[in-house]
Amino acid sequence: MKLKRIIQIIAVIIHNSYIPALLKGGLYQGFLKKGCTPILNCWGCPLAWYSCPMGGLQHFIALRLIPYYIIGLFGTVGMIVGRMSCGWICPFGFFQDLLYKIRSAKMKLPRWCSYFKYAMLVGAAIMLPYFIGEPWFCKLCPDGNLIAGIPLVLSDKTSDLKALVGWHFYMKAAILVAVILFSISIKRFFCRTLCPVGAIYSIFNRFSLLKLQIDKEKCIECESCRMVCPMDVPIYQSSNHIDCIRCLDCVKVCPTKAIKYEVR
Amino acid sequence: MKYGKAALISAFVVGGGQICSGRLWAGISFAVFFYGSIAIMIKIWTGFNPGFWGLLAAWVLVWLYNVYDAYKGVGYEKPPCEKACPAGIAPWIYVNLVAADNSQPYSFVPFFRTLELICPAPCEDQCTRRGIDAAVAIRYLKSGVKMQVPTPKQKTKKERIAVIGAGPCGLTAAYYLVNKGYGVTVFEREQKPGGVLATLIPEFRLPQSLLDKEIEAAMNVGVELKYGVAVGKDLSMDELLETYDIVFVATGAWKPTKLGIPGEKRALVGFDILRQIKKGEKFKLGKVGVIGGGNTAIDIARSLIRQGNEVKIYYRRRIEDMPAEREDRVEAQEEGIEIVPLTVPIKIEENRIIMQKTECREGRKGGVKVIQGSEFDVDLDHIVMAIGQYPDTDFLKEYLKSDTSGCIKTKNWRTSHPKIFAGGDAVLGSKTVAHAVGHGLNAAEQIDLYMRGIHPLFARILKRTYYPHVFFLPLHPVERMVIPHRKVEDRIHDFEEVELKVSKNELKKEAKRCLSCPLRYRP
Repeated sequence: MKLKRIIQIIAVIIHNSYIPALLKGGLYQGFLKKGCTPILNCWGCPLAWYSCPMGGLQHFIALRLIPYYIIGLFGTVGMIVGRMSCGWICPFGFFQDLLYKIRSAKMKLPRWCSYFKYAMLVGAAIMLPYFIGEPWFCKLCPDGNLIAGIPLVLSDKTSDLKALVGWHFYMKAAILVAVILFSISIKRFFCRTLCPVGAIYSIFNRFSLLKLQIDKEKCIECESCRMVCPMDVPIYQSSNHIDCIRCLDCVKVCPTKAIKYEVR
Repeated sequence: MKYGKAALISAFVVGGGQICSGRLWAGISFAVFFYGSIAIMIKIWTGFNPGFWGLLAAWVLVWLYNVYDAYKGVGYEKPPCEKACPAGIAPWIYVNLVAADNSQPYSFVPFFRTLELICPAPCEDQCTRRGIDAAVAIRYLKSGVKMQVPTPKQKTKKERIAVIGAGPCGLTAAYYLVNKGYGVTVFEREQKPGGVLATLIPEFRLPQSLLDKEIEAAMNVGVELKYGVAVGKDLSMDELLETYDIVFVATGAWKPTKLGIPGEKRALVGFDILRQIKKGEKFKLGKVGVIGGGNTAIDIARSLIRQGNEVKIYYRRRIEDMPAEREDRVEAQEEGIEIVPLTVPIKIEENRIIMQKTECREGRKGGVKVIQGSEFDVDLDHIVMAIGQYPDTDFLKEYLKSDTSGCIKTKNWRTSHPKIFAGGDAVLGSKTVAHAVGHGLNAAEQIDLYMRGIHPLFARILKRTYYPHVFFLPLHPVERMVIPHRKVEDRIHDFEEVELKVSKNELKKEAKRCLSCPLRYRP
């Protein structure tokens, strides 16, 4: 198995492995929940150890406070490795990688769709919480529904939560179904078009310490890197594209060894 | 399992079609995804509310995609060799078949053996292996492929189609149309089929016996051939349009281009020379200069040198920019043909031929400038013009639109006349045999769509993908094979084939160099 896959599986275990929740129900609410993980992983999941940075960001914005800790976390991780955490430890990204492995008819996404995630970041994760006071991205987030919403309602014993299920829950389920469907046919659909955490990290891709370098002399434009890329980025054209998640698959597959990663 | 049947099964049982067509895990995933999500929502169900419509829409989308997927099959990223092939062949499939010891025959492609000998191999220019050491010898590996033999087909549809021109494009189109069940009649001006292949391409590049065998195999499906009928002279176009439902024009490019210099009438026409040589005539011309840099020029030069003449080729750009196949050019140079680059003739007088030096930019783009005052005399007995050709479509003038050089204007192989389709060199100007075969294949598909009344855009969405069972091969650290040639001293005296055959084991070793890109890059 690829090193990337092993690390992704370990990351899933590290993020979501609060076993007592399976036995007794309820959430983990101890010390670790005060810390954020650098990727999108819902804190409402019964198994989750850590907080979701996007949830935290919206929470503080809704209270009209500046989330220094989360901005610092994004800045630090982004400046060092760019979007690397998306490619190596994000459980929802791993889930999409697995979905794309299903042998079905595949589709391609136009390049401009990549910019839609900025609208998601500014609109649903910053503006709406600030003016309305509610974390609106969390209300749309398919990851939250997959690992928190549906398991919580299903395992609900007192049916307090079931009473809360309304049109909004159905809508969220519809979004989850659509995202899973598109992830089967399109490479990492959610990461490329909707993820606000990815949108924040993508800004740092250009300045991060870890960078990809292309030797234009060696490149034969065979497109191997684009074919193997989980985000469908033509690496040979733009080595530090906003969608590059630094999974470094292209470095391995390049037949002329024209792609190198370097730390400045 | 037929694709349509799989789609029908999937429409009733989500994931069923995928399982029936051999994709177990895809089918299970679709079924679990669709029925699982419905089961979960039933468990959570708290009564109807407007959000249900969104959920319903998402489920309908999943169902639709599932049917579409069962119909279409696995989508794989086309590897560079398949993308580059103008004939629409997937080279990696037959290369893998050769590597796997010919266990299953390759589906029949018209003119496959011809392409083995005379294709310029654009696939090899794009091969990924080129980055490691050198491209896989894709073209030459065709010789190791075992091929299905087509059997006669029954006519199932009442529509009749006329094909004008029995060249590579026309015959390919005829073959595919007959396979689809149409009645096809091919009209040919000459007394034998093959077009350019039979009348112009010299024997040492493409033996006549091989060509005859191949055409016979393709025509075995039940194509009606009529020789000696020149449409426009012996048979009017109106008559054709009346008796047939569709007329497919694949007449090729047969009008030699003129240079427009004084005294050009004194020059020989390259086409005529090739035709005479193919008929068995001998030319004793002495010192000959061939003008042009295409395959025709190289063919003329190589044919003439085999008959004991002294030949030089004059080309207006640099040697690297010549449109002729690189391999052929190198072979020609080995045989002792001198190529003089950056030279154009400007005047041909009775005993005197004047040339001039030129300058040009790199590549085949941009014009060529003549350097003033660089005229010089050349010591030649004859000069042969081989500077390209264009289609002769005068007999179609009143029916459809064509551009100034005579090329028919088409969109999706349809011309401005609703009953006339066109393809091959008549549309492209002058291109390779691979282009012609590809045009024949696509035009047949388009004619079929037109007959069934399906819009081409709709057809493109529903076009099925073919994912054969091939083996994933580990990286083989072997260098590219050297294709054996006959010795120069032997080959310049006769018209026998230049390339030699090698053993099966050698071919297998070479085929194993293929990186099987589409498998390697599967996510």
